[in-house]
Amino acid sequence: MTASVGFGFMAACTLVSAIFVVRSKNLIRAALWLGATLLLTAALYAMLDASFLAGVQVLLYVGGISTLLIFGVMMTRKHEGLVVEAETVNVPRGVFAAGALFGGVAAAIKMTPELDSGVRPPVVTANDLGRGLLIDHVLAFEVVSLLLLVAIIGAVVIARKRDPGAEVPGFVRRPLAAKASSAKPVANEVSP
Amino acid sequence: MNALFRGASYGAVIITAILSTIAIGIWFERKFAGRMQSRLGPTIVGPVGLFQPLADVVKLLQKEDIVPRDADRSLFDLAPILATLFALGAAAVVPFSATAVTADLDIGVLWILAIGALMVIPTFMAGWASNNKFALLGGMRAVAQAVSYAVPLVLAVMVPVILSGTMQVSGIVQWQQQHHWVALWPVIPGLPAFVLFFLAMLAESNRIPFDIPEAESELVAGITTEYTGAKFTLFYMAEYVHTLVGSAVGASLFLGGWDGPFAPGLHWMVLKTLLLFAAVYWVRWSLLRFRSDQLMDLCWKWLTPIGVFLVLAAATWVQLMPGGR
Repeated sequence: MTASVGFGFMAACTLVSAIFVVRSKNLIRAALWLGATLLLTAALYAMLDASFLAGVQVLLYVGGISTLLIFGVMMTRKHEGLVVEAETVNVPRGVFAAGALFGGVAAAIKMTPELDSGVRPPVVTANDLGRGLLIDHVLAFEVVSLLLLVAIIGAVVIARKRDPGAEVPGFVRRPLAAKASSAKPVANEVSP
Repeated sequence: MNALFRGASYGAVIITAILSTIAIGIWFERKFAGRMQSRLGPTIVGPVGLFQPLADVVKLLQKEDIVPRDADRSLFDLAPILATLFALGAAAVVPFSATAVTADLDIGVLWILAIGALMVIPTFMAGWASNNKFALLGGMRAVAQAVSYAVPLVLAVMVPVILSGTMQVSGIVQWQQQHHWVALWPVIPGLPAFVLFFLAMLAESNRIPFDIPEAESELVAGITTEYTGAKFTLFYMAEYVHTLVGSAVGASLFLGGWDGPFAPGLHWMVLKTLLLFAAVYWVRWSLLRFRSDQLMDLCWKWLTPIGVFLVLAAATWVQLMPGGR
């Protein structure tokens, strides 16, 4: 009983902070709320005896992804002053997508007969997970890592300039000579 | 309930011990730095200046709490609290003796790494909420550095995990008790992994030569520029807590924890932790600061490939040494 009350409380906290993520006008605050949401999700995992998953969730999502998001906001947006504005768009579509996802997951849970038996599932330890990933399902694991490799190479290709001499759109290359000639009159003014 | 109560009381004792060690640690550092620079360090307050940290804390707590007008008030207040909390958090899974451990999680090492990854959040929060150019630059540098150096840190920590075959910190110490300290044998990958861990730990706790985020000659005081009084004290303390807890983690993962000749126990763990802590300050007062790009070069071009090699070496060692590891 105490456990389910605790779980309900944590789930409610997760939901509230998730609402703050989408309702926050300040993008940095939204990113920090997202960090809090992911942290609370990790707490839910820990309560469900999936402690390894909880640890990885904190390490990768809270430590990695939310930091990346913050970096992204800071590097792409002009931040004059403190508030980086976020606008809320497509509310009905968002609500529909969230509702559909919730309905799908809820239906899947309802249709799983094992959940009604009341038997607590066995605790999967980090050891079991390691064996599963690196011995039993090693091929699938490696294919996933190949996918990540493809993503990294893709990112590098997109980020790299195609040709060092090529014109970058929106960037006017000013020859060095022009700069030097524009600097000259100033020098003359200083020492006539 | 009994286990919960036991954990809570151990936790309280360990937190108190860490905080009082830090007071003495600050005194020690100032004396030590004084010696290295041919001066005396604190001498006035108490015998040989021993009460200086106490006087400093009282002074800092009395100072006016100044908040910049355009600061993001709630984040500005939250950042130092979170910084101290996360810095202390990693201590929960570190066993100080065979029984003195707050929470002996079976994913202890993962917990330490996860809490370490969380440290970037308050750092960034402080830099952002201060609404100050220097604080923001310091915050961004700190986050970039912490995120980069987390990679060699994880790789270095993987070596004792692979060798002992467990992620439970007390399990790793017990394995070292039965076999050998990771830093001593096998020489490759053990010793370089320990050095790698030490360097990454210096970088994660923003200590010289990795204190780019603070870089007082360029950034005033980095993220702490706008902080005064009690909040500054918290940040200052969090930095020392981070170093001390990092030393304790290093002592348990690489130097055999509470294991030692004659009588294994708490005293060995304390001794090793304090030696590592002192080594951090030895490095701090001996070396100069890296430049920002040199720092990244070192991390990505040297430490990370070395780390990958060490993890491979550890796995090979475990495979080639049947049973005995």
